[in-house]
Amino acid sequence: MSPKRDIQPGTLALMILKTLDVLGPLHGYGIARRIEETSRNQLSLNYGTLYPALLRLEQEGCIKAEWGPSENNRRAKFYGLTSAGRKQLAREARDWHRTTDLIAAFLTPRREA
Amino acid sequence: MGVLRQWWTRLVETFRPSPDQGDLQAEFAAHLEMETAENLRRGMDPAAARQAALRTAGGLTQAAEAVHDQRGIPWLEAVIADLRFALRSLRRAPAFTLTVVLTLGLGIGANTAIFSAVRGALLKPLPHRDGDRLLYLRQSRDGPGGANLSFSVPEVQEIREGAPLLSQIAQHSSWTVTWRDRDVTERVDVALVTSNWFDVMGLGVIAGRTMTTTDDGPGVPVVAVLTHAAWKRRFGADTAIIGKRLQVDGQAATVIGVLEPAPFFPGQADALFNMVASPHHLSASMLNDRAHRMTELVARLADSATVAAARRQVSDVYAQAQRGFPVAYPTESHYRVAVLPFRSVMGERAGLTLGLLMAAAAFVLVIAVANVTNLTLMRGVRREHELAVRASLGAGVARLRRLLIVENLLLVLAGAALGAVVAVGGTRMLAEFVARSSPRAAEIRLDATTFAFALGLALLVALVLSFAARLPREGRVASWILAGGHRASGNRGRSRTQRTLVVVQVAVSVVLLAGAGLLTQTMMRLSAVSSGLRTEEVLSVTVPLLTTPQLLAGPAPDIAAKIRYEEMRRAIAAVPGVGEVGLGSPGPLRSSTLRFDVKAEGIADVPGMSRPKAELRTASPEFFRAAGIPMVAGRPFAATDRRGTAPVVIINAALAQRLFGDSDPVGRSIAWAGDLLRFTPFSGEWRQVVGVVGNTQDGGLDAAQALVVYHPFNQVLAISGTFVVRADSGVAQLAPAVTHVVRRYAPDAPIEAVTTIAQLRDQSVAPRRLNASLIASFGLLAALIAAVGIGGVLAFSVSARTVEIGIRMSLGADAGRVRRMILAEGVRLMGAGVVIGLTATWFAAGLIRELLWGVAPRDPLTLGIVAVAMTGVGLAACWIPAARAARVNPVMTLRNG
Repeated sequence: MSPKRDIQPGTLALMILKTLDVLGPLHGYGIARRIEETSRNQLSLNYGTLYPALLRLEQEGCIKAEWGPSENNRRAKFYGLTSAGRKQLAREARDWHRTTDLIAAFLTPRREA
Repeated sequence: MGVLRQWWTRLVETFRPSPDQGDLQAEFAAHLEMETAENLRRGMDPAAARQAALRTAGGLTQAAEAVHDQRGIPWLEAVIADLRFALRSLRRAPAFTLTVVLTLGLGIGANTAIFSAVRGALLKPLPHRDGDRLLYLRQSRDGPGGANLSFSVPEVQEIREGAPLLSQIAQHSSWTVTWRDRDVTERVDVALVTSNWFDVMGLGVIAGRTMTTTDDGPGVPVVAVLTHAAWKRRFGADTAIIGKRLQVDGQAATVIGVLEPAPFFPGQADALFNMVASPHHLSASMLNDRAHRMTELVARLADSATVAAARRQVSDVYAQAQRGFPVAYPTESHYRVAVLPFRSVMGERAGLTLGLLMAAAAFVLVIAVANVTNLTLMRGVRREHELAVRASLGAGVARLRRLLIVENLLLVLAGAALGAVVAVGGTRMLAEFVARSSPRAAEIRLDATTFAFALGLALLVALVLSFAARLPREGRVASWILAGGHRASGNRGRSRTQRTLVVVQVAVSVVLLAGAGLLTQTMMRLSAVSSGLRTEEVLSVTVPLLTTPQLLAGPAPDIAAKIRYEEMRRAIAAVPGVGEVGLGSPGPLRSSTLRFDVKAEGIADVPGMSRPKAELRTASPEFFRAAGIPMVAGRPFAATDRRGTAPVVIINAALAQRLFGDSDPVGRSIAWAGDLLRFTPFSGEWRQVVGVVGNTQDGGLDAAQALVVYHPFNQVLAISGTFVVRADSGVAQLAPAVTHVVRRYAPDAPIEAVTTIAQLRDQSVAPRRLNASLIASFGLLAALIAAVGIGGVLAFSVSARTVEIGIRMSLGADAGRVRRMILAEGVRLMGAGVVIGLTATWFAAGLIRELLWGVAPRDPLTLGIVAVAMTGVGLAACWIPAARAARVNPVMTLRNG
């Protein structure tokens, strides 16, 4: 097993928002699972990272939590995107693209004309 | 926005009771279970599946903590916890808390109130434009009435020409006009000014216009600028008044503007008029005569000039004038001119008193803080055990210090809150008090700055308190814990601090009490001074029948007025209940502004000695009887002493002594003399002395004994007339009837100062009484706090020495011996404090010399009483702990100790 990478600061919120955007309301386990899968198991999320981030997003009004039945009929807390969260996601995604483009442009060796 | 919302939610969460922990646990459990189920589905055996799920989860406790930290604001929670703890521990010691809060509240409150008064009356920049460049010039000479002579027009001209460092000089003359407004006629204080007064003072108008040079000089219309206060009071702050006409001294004056609000100095004024309002001010005598001094000077310092340079220039000009006109400036009178910054001259009278109060309040605060420090120290000792336990449970020194700081902050802020309440009341009271001596009293108010002062003071106190308590050095907590198990009896360092603080308290209290004692003595001696006349059941009513121009116009209006005065006098005498009615001017217990040189026939002037200056007063035949002034020799005036008959005078005993020594003055002749007489309607003819009356203290009970010459009321011009009404009883109730009679005879005349002589007399003592009672209350407060302090320290010492006392008693010391031992300890502390306090008083007493009267600053009697009183109070405070020590049960203490 290759060593798992830590999450880069600031990116977790974006990942959570995107996950909820794609899959709809989801519980903490589902979110962690999805992020790990999407990262092809390069990332691992322990509770101490995931749950404060969820609480923070909730405090910012980006997501909303509700108790509900899970797939195997257990009670679980489901997090869903709010309209503010959707806007936040769009904004952060745009910013992120811009940043990566910029960094990529710097890192690509420039061909002299 | 998201960030703001996040912090807001967190702030709210911080103060919410902690949320259901079960909720988070359930969420974690669900997570674990789902992950375990997934692992099972992948084919792990149950134990491994759960293990793997737990591994991914990381530490569950840390996770819960991380969520908790994200939920609230951790450091704020810590502070709140500290606050809760502090509140709890203060509630457990209510006596301590109450004492500290009260002491600090009074100390902080008094200081804040006095600071606001000092700031308003002395420190704040003037509202005048470039107020720091404003100067006031004052000419004075030795002798009564010489403190402020003002200037004559020729002197003004010389200074204007010879002192270019004063860029502009404005003339200002205080004046009284008879002002008729609708149906009310009254005499009003106003000022006559040159048009450049506004530029010099740096004051504009809030409505209308200021005066211009076209308003100066003779032959122009009379114009008036109302002062802001008078505009509000008289005209309800209505700008429609501008352009309207006022009736003053029987002529019309147009209101052209309203002055912006500013303290008025010198004197008081409801309005400013141009010089033409008073014909006298443009007369040849006023304009040309050097000795005719009626003008005050305000000047603006030229740019880049210093006050010192301007002062030199003015004194050069003045020296030249003195050389040129030696007769106008007799050398033995020491004529001099002072050039004073306007702001300091405005605060001149209030400054000393306010400084004294400020010092007293600061002293009280020092004592209060010393006392609270002591209480905190003692409490710290009692709590040592508790702190040691806390330290052993893992609280670091920094943490303990923080606990102490939070606790002290809480105490001090409660004190500051109480102080703010005290300050609100105190400031209002002080503003009234200061209004007697400063034109700037209206500027005294509590504002953000004064509250910041109070808060700063409180925080400083909290810091002092927090660092006075002893805490172990980091790393030595363990040894401290061991020591904490014992009673902390043997700590020499701390007990020395406590003792020093007590000595300081006693010393400072002694200084304050000495000040209070001296001022109280002053007040009592002053109250005991005889005014020289009867004060009970005598009423005075002043009725000025003539306006100033009429007075200056010649004898005809005066003769007509005298007839009306006599008619009124008879009518008042006919009012039921009235005993005797006299007429005079000025009224009793009011000082006369007319003061001239006097000479006696057959007595040569002594070269190099100036002639005595006497007050000119007038009196009707009944005046002395009505006012209760005793005839010492000769006869009172008779109805035949009037215009056209032989000129006669009555002099007071002081003048008789001064002029004639022990020989009989009756039948001798005296005359007015000197330069000033030229400008007055009074002649320098010889007048025969027909009687001598007792001395009176008309200039105030603390004034130097005035020399007085009385003229018959009907023989010379009388400036206004005052009825002196004596009754057998209830004279104050006669006032309406007397006023009614006056109204009938003089419907448009102003009626002033309807007051009993007792009230007038009291006005002379009242400011001193207020001084004395303010300082005395500070002194008593200080002594009380010091007594609590000394008692507390002894009580603590007793409880720390219980074992020692037990041993002593078991070895044969009886209760009396133990009591004496403890008392002796108190007496040593008291003695040191009293001695230091008396020494400090000895050196500092000179500072309040000016506020004293009839008592020396180092009055041994006062100092002795203070020392005895302080020792007495202190001993009383020591008695309680001494008695407790004497009740110590040796068996009990030795068994438990």
